[in-house]
Amino acid sequence: MNFFAELLISAALVVSGVFGFVGSFGLIKLKHPLQRLHAPTKATTLGVGGVLIASMIFFFAKTGHVSVHELLITLFLFLTAPITANFIAKAYMSRNLRKGDLPDPPGEYGWSVYDDPPESRSDRP
Amino acid sequence: MDDGGPLLFLIALAPFIGALLPGLMIRAGRTVCAISTAVPTVIALTMLMVLAPAVLRGEVIQAEVDWLPQLGLSASFFLDGLGLLFASMILGVGLLITLYARFYLSGEDPMGQFYTYLLLFQGAMLGIVISDNILLLLVFWELTSLSSFLLIGYWKHLPEGRQGARMALAVTGAGGLAMIGGMLILGNIAGSYNLTDILQAGDAIRSSEWYLPALILILLGAFTKSAQFPFHFWLPHAMAAPTPVSAYLHSATMVKAGVFLMARMWPVLSGTDAWFYIVATTGLVTMVLGALIALFKDDLKALLAFSTVSHLGLLTMLLGFGTQAAAVAAVFHIINHLTFKAALFMTAGIVDHETHTRDIKRLGGLRHLMPITFLIGTVAALSMAGIPLFNGFLSKEMMLEEASHTDWFSSPYAVPVMATIGALLSVAYSFRFVSHVFLGPVRDDYPHKPHDPPFGMWAAPALLVVLVIVIGVAPFLAEGIVTAAASAVTGADLHPHLKIWHGVTPALWMSVIAVVGGAVLLALHGPLDKIWAAAPRPEAKAIFDRLMAAIVALSRGITEIGHNGAISRYLAIFTAASVGLGWVAYASSGLSAPTRGLLPVEPVIAVGWIMLVVATVSVVVMHHHRFRALVLLGIIGLSISAGFAYLSAPDLALTQISVETVTIMLLLLALHFMPKLTPRESPTGLKFRDAVIALGAGGGVGALAYAFMMRDIETISDYHVANSYEGGGGTNVVNVILVDFRGYDTFGEIIVLGIAGLVIYALMHALLDGPAARRLKNTDFSQDRSRDRHPLMMVVVTRVLMPIALVVGLYIFLRGHNEPGGGFVAGLVVAIALLMQYMASGFAWTQERKRIEYHTMIGLGVVIAGLTGVGSWLSGSPFLTSAYTYVHLPPIEEFELATAMLFDLGVFLTVLGAVMLMLYSLSRIARFAGATVNEGPMDYDPGLKDEQEAER
Repeated sequence: MNFFAELLISAALVVSGVFGFVGSFGLIKLKHPLQRLHAPTKATTLGVGGVLIASMIFFFAKTGHVSVHELLITLFLFLTAPITANFIAKAYMSRNLRKGDLPDPPGEYGWSVYDDPPESRSDRP
Repeated sequence: MDDGGPLLFLIALAPFIGALLPGLMIRAGRTVCAISTAVPTVIALTMLMVLAPAVLRGEVIQAEVDWLPQLGLSASFFLDGLGLLFASMILGVGLLITLYARFYLSGEDPMGQFYTYLLLFQGAMLGIVISDNILLLLVFWELTSLSSFLLIGYWKHLPEGRQGARMALAVTGAGGLAMIGGMLILGNIAGSYNLTDILQAGDAIRSSEWYLPALILILLGAFTKSAQFPFHFWLPHAMAAPTPVSAYLHSATMVKAGVFLMARMWPVLSGTDAWFYIVATTGLVTMVLGALIALFKDDLKALLAFSTVSHLGLLTMLLGFGTQAAAVAAVFHIINHLTFKAALFMTAGIVDHETHTRDIKRLGGLRHLMPITFLIGTVAALSMAGIPLFNGFLSKEMMLEEASHTDWFSSPYAVPVMATIGALLSVAYSFRFVSHVFLGPVRDDYPHKPHDPPFGMWAAPALLVVLVIVIGVAPFLAEGIVTAAASAVTGADLHPHLKIWHGVTPALWMSVIAVVGGAVLLALHGPLDKIWAAAPRPEAKAIFDRLMAAIVALSRGITEIGHNGAISRYLAIFTAASVGLGWVAYASSGLSAPTRGLLPVEPVIAVGWIMLVVATVSVVVMHHHRFRALVLLGIIGLSISAGFAYLSAPDLALTQISVETVTIMLLLLALHFMPKLTPRESPTGLKFRDAVIALGAGGGVGALAYAFMMRDIETISDYHVANSYEGGGGTNVVNVILVDFRGYDTFGEIIVLGIAGLVIYALMHALLDGPAARRLKNTDFSQDRSRDRHPLMMVVVTRVLMPIALVVGLYIFLRGHNEPGGGFVAGLVVAIALLMQYMASGFAWTQERKRIEYHTMIGLGVVIAGLTGVGSWLSGSPFLTSAYTYVHLPPIEEFELATAMLFDLGVFLTVLGAVMLMLYSLSRIARFAGATVNEGPMDYDPGLKDEQEAER
């Protein structure tokens, strides 16, 4: 394994470590739940992403084949992390805020958390 | 000797196979159902008749197949004169009863069920009389108890029927248990469980010191079955059964099983003082007592029931005498009693059927209204009374003859006098049956206008009555079968001559006294009845009920010490016992010196370990907050998975992660509907106890692991590793263990898992009916529910993820045999993929888009796994032996196909089905708690908005 590859791997690992640490630290340091939401999302995307990149380089340098497992993991992460964040935010709104606490959204409908869905989706029991 | 042996098997099997028919044939109509019941009986009877000539010549037909030779249990049958007599009685009367029941049962009664029970009983009874192995005989013996329970309790809506069935089962079942003990002793003495061997070992058995215990235990079985005093009380209560059952079981067959057994064991057990005094005395007392009670019973069937008790006592007494002549009389009376008593029961049934009452006090004068029934009933009753020219007279004369020269404790009068009294009472109740039911003036207050029944109903008793007269007038016709049976009972070569006229003997005088005395007694019946009604009598049912209640209370008390419904107690007992056993093992043998040293603890491991400990302690501290506890459990589970991965157990890690994910998801959903806090209920003492047990168990397991890891111990793992590829065709040892080496365990486990899923589903029914349901109804979940329950982003992402997740599941499934993975994990992964859809779009919406029911999936999984296992039988290998081959299809690389993969498919389906069924159960709670069903996949659907705009 040549020096350049090792350098890249190390750099990726360091980046991932830093973000992982910052993410965890933020989770403790930040006070408000919505602020806190930011910390772990960074840790999962960039922190884990760094490890994955390092892993891909490592296996490419070692075996000569491109390892695609990591891409798949990245894909899953990119798909799930925003949803998680979105859900935490929604849950927070639902539990701790009321409609009056927030400005009205500009569009046709109100906040999805507080307002019933449009009429065409009438529920049946 | 073994000519016709195979036929014996067929005879034994015919009723059991036939029992499958009526339940199906009832759809084709009641007559077809009855005919389909008669067919197996006729077949068996025909085969019996084919064998009969040889048996009547004195041959014994045998057939044997080893069943469980280790236990001495073989499926062996033999047919001798006694067996032939009983078998033809069982089948012949069975046929008549089938005909009679066709007309007796009403349209509302489930006839298919009745005939099925009847055939089961017939098969069991037939098994008793032709078994050559006493263990097999015991099996059939218990089967008669069970099937008669079903028959007695046939009218499930009647409390008397249910109680009578329970009582019969308790009494005869208890006797059966005693008999098992007796038979085992007998088999031990003789050194064989085969009847033919035991019958040869009479001298050894009678001189054995175990003779008396064996005798008493076997007699307990026989006496309970044949309703001998003091166990006679169950028989009248069993009369709550439909009349065909009473006629079949309680006159012709089942109650004679005890008599049969005494006759069968006669060469071995009789001839001693103990036999004479126990059997003859019990029989005598039963005969007199039964007859006395019968005289004062107003219920027709109760009268007949007690008269049956009395006649069974008579038979028992005759066998108890222990002489050959008495045995001949017993055999002859068995035939005669069968004919007249079955006819009488059917007559009683007809009367009941036509007048809608069985109360003698409300009957009378029926001879004008029901002349045919009157004729049948009268002939049968006169035979029961022992009037000359009817068959009852012949055997009763023989009985009195035997009684007249039997000494009882050196008294020459005790037995003859008592026997005469018994006969006298018998005459009295027989006359009463005729005169109080049929004679006298016609009344105008019958509950129902009586008339003779259709031919089909009186045909069966009429045939029996013809037999009564034929045997009564020409007894030599029955000589053949009586000779064969009596020779089989006594083991001697007998040549009895059955005659009507024996000259003026003491027996004749006793008979005359009995008939005259009986008539006088009947004349005095009115005043005597009043005295009887006023006299205090012990009520058997009340005593029995109290006894049962006491036994139930006792067993409940014992059970509840360890089994009180509190799971914490079970766990405490189980854990403490395991720790105790471990300690005993350690204390008794100690440990060898350790052969390995400790490995250094790496920092990463130390950190992981500390996290695990902290999380565990936190659960203990915070478990009252259920959500927090769940989060902590998640941490623990993931730490353990990491540990597995670190210790080179990728299979376990994979499984643990998937299980963890599914569990947490399901628990989260469940917790939503439950109180958020666990109440504090345990007192300090209990907590202390639990802490001690928990620490003991944890420390024990830790010590055990430490002890093992410090030593080089040979384990079965080496064998598994060595044979995994060659024997099981897989390089993933864990998977090969699961599907091959220990495939049977896995098969059991998936069944358990499937059952768990189904039980959760079933419990939900109960749950939604109880107090928890009211709490759910009253809880308002609407406030903590977002209006946007199925957000667009979530829905879209889960749809995108679904194919990927399914491919991952397939991948894990396919590679399972050689690399980490397998059906279990694949099932969980696919379950997670589906779970996501359910969470995103709601259960009901998603449910409507799936094709296979989860119940079906579980069943299919178990069946596939089972069939795979059975498949290995085809190649002569044991259950679940896997076979494998390599396949080469051009576009893809060569790959392996193993039957293990089919088995894995079964595992996969069961796991998936069970998990999804659990989810379904949770969803039902949600619906119950007021969740609504959404029409579309998501609440805000931008596509829909575009559509609406386009419409405008």
